[in-house]
Amino acid sequence: MEEKLKALGEKELARQAEVECRIFCCTSTACLASGSGETLQILEQGVQAQNYSKDDFTEIVQIGCMGLCSQGPLVRVETKDQSDFVYGQIDSELALQILAKHLPTNSHSTTLVSKPDDADLEQLRSNIKAARKKRGLVHRIISPDLPFFSNQIRIVLRETGQLNPESLPDYLAHNGYKALYKVLQTMEPEQVCDEILQSGLRGRGGAGFPTGQKWNFAREAKVDTKYVIANCDEGDPGAYMDRTIMEFNPHCVLEGLMIAGYATGASSGYLYIRAEYPIAIDRIKKAIRDARRKGIIGKSVMGTDFIFNPDIRIGAGAFVCGEETALIRSIEGMRGMPRMRPPYPSTSGLWGKPTVINNVETLANVPSIIQNGARWYASIGTEESKGTKVFALTGQLTNTGLIEVPMGITLREIVYEIGGGVPGKAEFKAAQTGGPSGGCIPASHLDTPVDYESLQELGSIMGSGGLVIIDDTTSMPEFARFFMDFCVDESCGKCVPCRVGTVQIRALLDKLIAGHGEIEDIDRLERICHLVKNTSLCGLGQSAPNPVLSTLRFFREEYEDLVATEIASGGPDG
Amino acid sequence: MGDMEVGMITLTIDGKTVRVPSGTSLLDAALSHEIDIPRLCFHPELSVSGGCRMCVVEVEGKEQPTVSCGLECQEGMVTNTNSEQLTKMRKDIIDLFVSDHPLDCVTCDKAGSCLLQKYAYEYGVKETSFTEIISRSLLQDDNPFFIRDHKYCILCGRCVRVCDEIVGAHAIDFAKRGFEANIATPFDGPMIDSSCVFCGNCVQVCPTAALMPVSRINRGREWELERISTVCGYCGVGCQIEYAVKDDEILYARSAGDPSVNGDFLCTKGRYGWDFVRNDDRLTQPLIRRDLAHELGITDEPWEAPTTSPLAVRRPKVDDYFVPVSWETAIDIVCTRFAEVVENHGPDAIMGLASARCTNEENYLFQKFFRAGIGTNNVDHCARL
Repeated sequence: MEEKLKALGEKELARQAEVECRIFCCTSTACLASGSGETLQILEQGVQAQNYSKDDFTEIVQIGCMGLCSQGPLVRVETKDQSDFVYGQIDSELALQILAKHLPTNSHSTTLVSKPDDADLEQLRSNIKAARKKRGLVHRIISPDLPFFSNQIRIVLRETGQLNPESLPDYLAHNGYKALYKVLQTMEPEQVCDEILQSGLRGRGGAGFPTGQKWNFAREAKVDTKYVIANCDEGDPGAYMDRTIMEFNPHCVLEGLMIAGYATGASSGYLYIRAEYPIAIDRIKKAIRDARRKGIIGKSVMGTDFIFNPDIRIGAGAFVCGEETALIRSIEGMRGMPRMRPPYPSTSGLWGKPTVINNVETLANVPSIIQNGARWYASIGTEESKGTKVFALTGQLTNTGLIEVPMGITLREIVYEIGGGVPGKAEFKAAQTGGPSGGCIPASHLDTPVDYESLQELGSIMGSGGLVIIDDTTSMPEFARFFMDFCVDESCGKCVPCRVGTVQIRALLDKLIAGHGEIEDIDRLERICHLVKNTSLCGLGQSAPNPVLSTLRFFREEYEDLVATEIASGGPDG
Repeated sequence: MGDMEVGMITLTIDGKTVRVPSGTSLLDAALSHEIDIPRLCFHPELSVSGGCRMCVVEVEGKEQPTVSCGLECQEGMVTNTNSEQLTKMRKDIIDLFVSDHPLDCVTCDKAGSCLLQKYAYEYGVKETSFTEIISRSLLQDDNPFFIRDHKYCILCGRCVRVCDEIVGAHAIDFAKRGFEANIATPFDGPMIDSSCVFCGNCVQVCPTAALMPVSRINRGREWELERISTVCGYCGVGCQIEYAVKDDEILYARSAGDPSVNGDFLCTKGRYGWDFVRNDDRLTQPLIRRDLAHELGITDEPWEAPTTSPLAVRRPKVDDYFVPVSWETAIDIVCTRFAEVVENHGPDAIMGLASARCTNEENYLFQKFFRAGIGTNNVDHCARL
C-alpha cells in the first residue's frame, strides 16, 4: 500500500524535474481578489499559443498563498537550471512579459499546430513577442532575501509557492502522508498523544490549550464512538490564516485530522468550514475524494485496520459557531448557540460522544511534529509557547500578508522587520491582536514577546492570528467601536450580558464619539465592560469588551479628549 | 467522615452543610435545602440553559463567580450564594434586562406574577442606569389562545425548551441573532401553520408578559384573582388544575404544579377547554320527562311525548320536554325503576356504559355497582382509543 503511494510521489517528483519551466500562479482568495484569475488565464493561454503542451516543457501550476498578499497577484517561476524568481503585482500585461522572458524558445514554436483561423491565439502570440522588448518585469522581482521572508520560520507554511493544492501526487512528493504512515505503523495512540504533548503544541484557535492533553482526555474515554473535528470556521475580521492553510495545503489539514483520529480512537471526523470559503471547501472536498481513491481514507487506512471517514459541514455564517459547543450544535443540525462547559467536548461533545475539536493551524502542525519529533518542535519558541504561529498581518504596514513566526518573537520585529514599518509619515500607534476578542498593544509595549501569556498580561490575547497594525491617524475609540459593532452583530442572543451589554457598550461609544459624552460615561463604559466580561456565557461575550478595555487602558486620554472637545465646543468657536 | 452512602457528596452552601447525590447541580442542591438563588431561565423540569446569568454564586478557590445551574456539586465544595459582589452583579444583570424591557408594570397584566418584576423589586432596580433600548416591538395575536408580545420577552428560552423537551412539538425556536434575536415559528409564519398544539405550556413557563392567555388580558390584576384548585375532568390522569377566577368568571387555567402528577404542564383541553362552565346549555340539575313528572304528581299538566324525535327538532328546548327535580327525587326514581326492571326482566336486561373522562376510582365504583349491586356483567366503556 505504502509502496504504491511512495511510487506515486516519486513519479511526480521525477516528472516535475523533467519540466523545463514551471510557472506557479497564486490562486488563493487574496490574490484572486487582486486579479490573479486573469493572470492565470493569460499564462495558460500563452502556453497554448506558443504550442507547448502543458506537461511537456512548461507547466502552469495553481498554488496557494505565498504570504506577501500586499504584492498580489504573485507569480513564481522555477526553471530547470535552478533559477527561481518571485514576481509581485503581475497583471495580464506583465504576465505576457513573464511568458516572453521564461518560456524556452526552441523549435516548438516554429511548428504551429493551432488552427490558423484562431485569431485570439495569433494575437496573443504577437503580444508575447511584443512583450519581449518591454522592461517592466525587473521592477516586480521580489527578492527571497526580503526581511519579510527571511525573518520567518515556516512549518505550517513551508511548502507555500511550490505545492499544487489540488494534486495528491504533489503532496506525496512533498513527504505527504508520511507522518500518518509513521503513526499507523510504529506508534500506539498513547505514544502519539504523548509526542504531541511533549512538543508543547497548544491550540492555535486562540485559547492555547495543550493539544496533547485534549487528545488524551478523549483517548482515555472508554466509549466506542468518538469524533474529531477540524474547526475551520475562522471569522475574526482581518484574519485569514486558516483559509490560506486549507487553500494551499488541504491534504495537510486532513492528515493532521486523521492523526488526531488515530490518537483518540475516533473513526469519523468533520471539517466545519464556513460557507464564505468556497475555494477552501472545494479543495478540501477534492482532497478527501483523491485520498479516498488512493486508500488513504476509508475502511482500511493505508492497508491497516484503522478506519477513518471525514466529512465536510458548511457553516451558515455565524461567527459564534467557531465556539466549540456552538459548532457542535451546528453540526448536529441545531441552532448554533454555545452551551455551558463543563462538560467539555472531550467528555461529551458531538451527539454526546467524546470529541476533539482542533483548529486548522493546530492540525496542520501535527504532521511536521510527527515527522521531525517533539524535541525539534519544542526547540522553537518560548518556555510556555512552543513552535510557530501564523499571523495575518494587516493594517498600516508596508508589507502585509501571511507570516509564520516563532513564538516569542517581539512585536517590534514583526512590525519593523517583517512588516517593513508603517508607510508614509505616520507613526506606529498600536497592534491589535486576537480580532474582536483581543486588545490593542501600544508602542510602549512593542518589545513584548508574542506568546500566549505575555499577550494576556497586556489584556489582549493571542487569538487565532489576526494582527492589525494601526497608525496614529486612527482614533482608538472608533477602532474599538468597529469591533464592538462586530460583536453586536455576531452575538447569538442567548445570554443577557452579551446580547444587551454589547449594545449598551456601543451606545456609550456612539455617544462619546458623537461628542455628547460626559466624563462619567467613561466610568460607566468601564463598568459595563467588566460586567459583560465577567458574566457572559461563552468566550465571545467574555472577550467582547477586550478591544474597549485595552484601549481604555492604554489610550484613555483619547476617550477623555472626546469629552473635553464637547465642553470646549460649548463656547463660541470652541 | 460520617456515613459513606454510595454516590452522595457533601458540600457547604452559605455555611450550611448539605448532602446531595453526585451529579446534582449547585442550584438544585441549594433549592432542595431551602436556599433560594435568583433565577430566570432555569426551570426544574427543563434542560439547563444558563442564559440569564442570575444564579451566579461564589465558589471558594475560583476567581470569578460562576452560574450555579450549570455547576456540578463537588465533594467538599464551599460556596456562597449571597454576597456584596453577587448582589451587585445580579443587580447589574437586572439593570441590563430592564434596559430592554418596558417598565409599564402599572398597567401590565403580568404584574404580581412577573419574575423580572419580582427580582427588580428585590434588588431595588427602579429603572435602568443604562440607556433604554427596546429591541423588539412586535405583538402577535394570531390565535385565540395566547398572544406573543415580543417587547416583554427576555429570551430566557423556557418556551422553546418546554415545546421541544416536554411537548415534543418544537413549534418555536430562536430566530435571528444578538440583540435582534426573537422567538419565532418557522419563517415567522402564523402559529396555526406551525407544529404548535396550543397546549399553552409555553405560556405557563413564561416568566414575563411575553406570552399571555387571551382570556386574561385586561381582566384584572393578578392579586385580585381567586385561585381555585381542582382536578381536570377530561381524562383519568388527574392533572392538578388551578383556575384563576374573578367575579365568578374563569380568566385562565394553569397547572397547580404538583410534580408527582403533571408538574407545570397541561394539555390543550385542560388549559383552554373550560368555557363550557358558563354555557347556557349546560345541565346543572337532574331533569325528568314531563309525562313521568305528571304521572308522579310533580306537575299538573298532562304531557305526551311528541311523535317526532327530539333529534329532528332544531335546537330543542329542554323545558319543553323536561322538568327539573331534586337529586333525592331523581335518585329515588332511578332506584325504583332499576329494581322493577331487575325484578321483571332479570339483571342482564340492564347495561352500564362508563366514560373515559371518569377517574379510575369512579370507573371502579361504577363496575362494582353493576356487578355487585345490579348483578350483571354488562359493563362497558366508551373509550376505544
